[in-house]
Amino acid sequence: MQSDTIGPLSRTDFVRYAGAGGDFNPIHHDELMAAGAGLPSVFGMGMLHAGVLGSRLARWVGPDNVRAFSVRFTGQVWPGDELTLTGVVDAVSDGVAQISMKVTRQTGDVVLTAKATAVVMA
Amino acid sequence: MIEDTIVGRDLGTITFPIDRSKLMELSRSFFDTDPTWHDPEAAAAQGFAEVPTPPTVTTLVDHWRAGGALETAASIGADLNRLLHGEASWELLVPVHLGDVLTTRGSITDVTRREGKRGGTMTMVTIQTEFVNQRGELAARRTDVLIETGA
Repeated sequence: MQSDTIGPLSRTDFVRYAGAGGDFNPIHHDELMAAGAGLPSVFGMGMLHAGVLGSRLARWVGPDNVRAFSVRFTGQVWPGDELTLTGVVDAVSDGVAQISMKVTRQTGDVVLTAKATAVVMA
Repeated sequence: MIEDTIVGRDLGTITFPIDRSKLMELSRSFFDTDPTWHDPEAAAAQGFAEVPTPPTVTTLVDHWRAGGALETAASIGADLNRLLHGEASWELLVPVHLGDVLTTRGSITDVTRREGKRGGTMTMVTIQTEFVNQRGELAARRTDVLIETGA
């Protein structure tokens, strides 16, 4: 997959995803609520960067060819973060590719690891 | 407090449309302005007979819960200030396209606990949701693991 970088992420980006995806947990947009929970600021929904990665995967292999997509959230994403999305094919057998992907912050911390399987077009 | 007795709880059924405006919003929120993700003509120009969707499109169901995305978390007794999304996975069995109507069937399938690295007991809740399309085909199966960190 051609690597892609998004950000620096803004609170507006989080709010746009809230409206699009339906996650209005105030911890992602309400600074007072986040502070009350002991956090330095609001933080991004995991499903935002998971969704971005999924859409890049779909563009890479063809949207209707993705058969499985699984993500583990390994770190939080904060306003100002720049995220790099990468993916590689680990193996292909019987026309199905096994793919590993990850999302990395500008600090080098991995915030998401993902696995996918996709039917490879002949 | 998340009780072990929630395992097996039926999370009910929701029917919702895969509609163009939400697909446009979703693709914009993913930093992608390509109209292929919501416009039938643009999709056709790219060789798609149907407007395709990204793998996480089933998230749109959250708009159709009366209590939003947090409804499930609140209903199982989770402390929302300590709640994290640990894992999510999708089996995509039949492609989802613009115009589809999906019906969910969700349930709690597991609750496990372990000592957290920062003290306190972490509780992991597994939720499985099936999405059946308007033709009665099982289109997707989604599994989520929610984590409530130690108090």
